[in-house]
This record gives sequence, structure tokens and C-alpha cells, in this order.
Amino acid sequence: MSKMILAKAFCIAMYEEMGADPKVICIGEDIGKRGGCWMNFTGLLDTFGENRVLEMPLAEMGYSYFAVGAALEGYRPIVEYMFADFSTLGYEAIVDMAAKIRYNSGGITSCPITFVLPHGGGGRSGCHHQQSVEAWFTNVPGIKIVAPTTPADVRAYYRAAIRDDDPTLFIYQRALLYDREEEVPDKLDVVPSLKNAGKIVKEGKDLTIVAYHRALYNAIDAAAEVEKETGKSIEIIDPRVLIPFDKEKVFASVKKTGRLFVTHEAPERGGFSAQIVSWVAENCQSSLKAAPVRVCGANGIIPFGELEDYLYPSKADIKAGILKALA
Amino acid sequence: MGAVNFSKEELLNMYDEIVKARVIGEKIVEFIYSGRIAGAIHPCLGQEAVSAGLVSAFRKSDIKTYGTATHRMQTVMAYRLGLKPFISELLLRKGGINGGISGEYHVTSIEKTQIPGTGALGGAWGLIAGFAWGLKTDGRKREIGFAPYGDGAISSGATYEAMNLAAIFKLPMLFFIENNGIAMTTPVIKQSPLENLADRAAAFNMKGVTVDGNDPIAVAEAVLNGMELAANFEPNVVEAKCMRWEGHYVGDDQSLYRDVKFRDNLDAIDPVLAFQKKLVDLKYLDDAAIKKVREAKVAEVSEAFEEGMTQGVATREEVLDYNRIYSNDAGGEL
Repeated sequence: MSKMILAKAFCIAMYEEMGADPKVICIGEDIGKRGGCWMNFTGLLDTFGENRVLEMPLAEMGYSYFAVGAALEGYRPIVEYMFADFSTLGYEAIVDMAAKIRYNSGGITSCPITFVLPHGGGGRSGCHHQQSVEAWFTNVPGIKIVAPTTPADVRAYYRAAIRDDDPTLFIYQRALLYDREEEVPDKLDVVPSLKNAGKIVKEGKDLTIVAYHRALYNAIDAAAEVEKETGKSIEIIDPRVLIPFDKEKVFASVKKTGRLFVTHEAPERGGFSAQIVSWVAENCQSSLKAAPVRVCGANGIIPFGELEDYLYPSKADIKAGILKALA
Repeated sequence: MGAVNFSKEELLNMYDEIVKARVIGEKIVEFIYSGRIAGAIHPCLGQEAVSAGLVSAFRKSDIKTYGTATHRMQTVMAYRLGLKPFISELLLRKGGINGGISGEYHVTSIEKTQIPGTGALGGAWGLIAGFAWGLKTDGRKREIGFAPYGDGAISSGATYEAMNLAAIFKLPMLFFIENNGIAMTTPVIKQSPLENLADRAAAFNMKGVTVDGNDPIAVAEAVLNGMELAANFEPNVVEAKCMRWEGHYVGDDQSLYRDVKFRDNLDAIDPVLAFQKKLVDLKYLDDAAIKKVREAKVAEVSEAFEEGMTQGVATREEVLDYNRIYSNDAGGEL
């Protein structure tokens, strides 16, 4: 075990996977000598060379399609968008091409691409550089969506995403890149499956919380305060993977607690939390003691700078939501 | 490089292809009007010389091409996939290359060198650039990406990005523009200030040539030269200018947006008749041979269409077959 920031855990995963499989390549902007805009590609060019680390011109659309073509030829591309928002320019390549290659080949040719999308609040960088994008993609069959939070999980699930034979979005919260140091195992003996990926962060019996990314850290802190003040015990689940979602772990928890609270930073309307609540309502109706509660980002436009804090759920907002769910 | 010699046999094969293209176009129109084809199929009528030139070039060269096709290059897709599996896919029948599920435009078969086109036109060029990068990086000699589009698609910025990537990475890749003068309903003059669309190659320091797309020999020659350059890691552009006879789709009333006087005398602009005359002048063809080729192609193409219609269509289980969509059990439920 050693303590490290998320950016380093990400970089280690990349060294591990590029070292393990010569067909893994990286595609993106400024990922050469600079090591990527976020420095999480540091040293890869020197180690693996120009045929493995492809520095691209400012052409997200072009290099997204390029990645699909390289995958068809037998490579396993990792495509980094500097900001998840820029995936709008790769959208057709992701949802129309990558997601449908296998289907239109009669199940013969897979399309193993990992699209890396740094997203979410905390960057103070406004409405084109930090939107929370998972729900732009969760309604698209054919792709998988991996969204771990902690450095250790980023390392493990990034590797799992790269190893998966289907197009996978790896969405992480950019503001957590250098935010906190956490324990990461020295070696990852088994790369996890994307299936059944939900993690019970802590056990409890009175309420189930489902949360990911920065909202997860806020939920952990808020739940601790609520437990202290009310004597209730709260279970927290980090799904780590959104598609395929680990429903069984959430259902089992709700059947035990009878209550559900879901939080994320993406806008409330059409947010993935609505899908989670819907699944629980359909499958755990007889266990529910109260209506599930969601606390999400506002359905507003992200302003520049510190004003963004008005949009995102704070620890206090989440605490209020938890109390409402327990009432 | 430059002038290419075609033997008598090659020219007669080229004639076979141009007639086949004509018959496929006619059959598609016939099947649509008789209600036996669903969906938007865009017949190649008027543009047969382009497909015949391409197929002849692919057949003559030792260079292997992986590529897409424009929606009017049915004969090229039939060459890659086989006539019957292609026609069955077009008819959405079980004998199709993907069981009649994809339709002929989305079908993907790397084994058969068929790369899928993109619904929103433009992106396939970038995709083929990535494929060509893979060919080059794997050291696969004399294998190239073939990237065709019409005059409409190349207004998409995606094609500029792809040409730029091809030039930067020196990819084994041939860009091909089938310029039929009209993008759905919009004439090319409203889409580009250029007389020759191949001039765009200059922006990326690539060679670009424009040829008469009504002449299959000119198309084949330019494509063979372009393939050779591509195989030597000089990506380049070939444009073939041709003319679309029908609407964008069958049944489209062209008179709403286009002067259709040219239709009064199609024989005068018919690329099949023009090539036929050339071969008659060379004494490679006579009336009997012309009739024989026509009958053979009608029989071959009709058989593919009729046989396709006898096949069943995919079941709900096949359409929603999990294993067609995901490679492993971590895909979530359908």
C-alpha cells in the first residue's frame, strides 16, 4: 500500500495496461512530452514511443473516428478528451460507430476503445469545461460506462475498462485529480469485472445511499454527521460502474434499510439517479418505507468561477436530503 | 505512373461491371416500385462508370483495399461482399452478410474488407484513417484504406480532419470523391467555391486529380495511380465527376429542385452506351456480344434478387441477440 493522488493512480494503470498489451495505444491532445493536460499521461511517450502514444491535432471529431478505425484493425485505443464536454465532437463516433460496430458485424468484430472523460464540478471553469456528462450516454445501448471515485478504484476500474472488449467510457471527476491522497495497493492481482462492481463503502441498516464522484465524498461526510446526530446507521454504496449497473447490491441494501437516497452532480432532470430510483421503485416496492430522495445538480447553466457552487449539491444539501429520506 | 494499359480481357470485364451496375440500379428501382424493398436505397443509375472503374482497379491491382462505399456504389459493395450476400442484405433477408439486420450501408465485415459507413456523412474518412494507421503500424505492405464520399459529404469538417490526419501520419490511404453534382437536392455550386473538389488535397500537401467519371477507364487509371501512391504512404485524392439520373431516392420528384431536361435524351449522356461504343470501335464487342452480356447480367442479378426474396427475415430474438451487441456478460440487460 502507498498513498497517492488520483492522477498518479490513473497513470500507473496506464503503464500497467500498456506494458501488458502492445495493442493498447493512447490518442489525445498534448499527451506527449507534457504528459497530458492533466499530467496523467506523464512519461508514456518516452516509455512506449510514438506508435503507442499518438499526439493529435485539435480535432476531437477526427481522432474519435480514427480510434474506431484503429480498433477495427486490431488495436485497443484509449481516447482522451481534455474535458468531457469535448466528447460532443466525438459523439457520433462513440454512439453511432463504436457502439454499433459489433452489432453490424453480426457479433464478429468488437470495438475495444476506452474513451476517457474528465468531468464534473470543482474546476471553476464554466459551462464548456466541466459539465457532468454521464446521462448524455447512459441511454445509448452498446457502450459501457465506468465511473469510479477513489484513486484505488480508478486504478482498478480504468484497467478493467481498457481490458473490456466493448467501447467503454471512463468518466472521472477532474476536480479530484490532485485533491486527496488515498491508499492504493502496490499490486492489483486481479483486474475486476465491470459486472457486479458496486462497492459497499460502509454498512448500515436505516438508509441506503447511492453516490459517486465528489457527491460520494460529500455524502460520506454528511452521513457521518447524521449518524452522530440521530443515532441512525446508514449504508453507502459506490456503484463504480454505471453501465452495467450493480442493481442487485442496491436492491439487497434497500430491502434491508427500506429507504433510498441518491446524489450526483449532474443536473437533476433526466439524471442517472432517476434511473436508479426507478429501478428500486419497480423492484423493491414492498420494502420501501418512504419515497426515495434525490439531491442533484441544478438544471442550470454552469457559471464561471466560484459562482458554480450555487449549482452543485453541497455537503449541507446532501445532509438535508439524507434527513428527508430518513423522515 | 500515369497511363495504364488495360488488356482486352480487362476491358471486357470492365464492361461486365458497368452493365452489372446498370442492372442492379434498374432492379432496385423495380423492387422499390413493386413494394419489395423498404428503406431508402439510392440507385446508381447514371454513375455506373464510377463503380465499374473502381472494381476494375481493385481487381487489377495487387494492393488490397479496405474501405466503405458511397450509397450509390452497390456494385463495389457487391464486389467486396459477394453479389448474393450483398443483395440479400439490401433486401433485409436472412442470407445477407449480416442476416439482413444491418442493411447494406451499415454492414461491417473486416474479413471482406468492408468498413461501415456513417449515417451522418463525413466521419467514415476519419475511421478509415485510423484503420490505415493500423495497417501501416502493423507493417502490412500494399494494404491501404479506401475512403469514398460524394460531393455532399465532403463539406463535413470531419473529412478535413481526416485528410489532415492522413497527411500528418503519412497514411496508406486513397480518398475518392464521387461528384455527381448534387447532394440530395443541393447543387454542388451551392456547396463549394471550387471547380474541382480534388483541389482540397492541396490544403494538406497531398496530390489531387479530377477525372471524367463517365469513363470507367479514366476512373480505373486514376484509382490505380492513387492506390500506388497510397501504398507508398502518400495519401491522395481522386475525384470522378459524374451525373445522377434519378432523385436522391427512388420516387423523389427531382423537378422540384433541378432542371430535368437532361432526362429527355439520356442516351446522349449514358456512360454505359459511351463505353460500349468505345469497345465496339475497338472491335472488342459486337451486337451479339452486347446482347449476351446484358442477358447474363440480368440473369445473375435477377437470381440474386429473387433468391433473396425467398429467404426469411430475422426474428425478434436475433434482432435483440445480446451477443451481437456485447462481447462479454458485462453489458447490462437489453
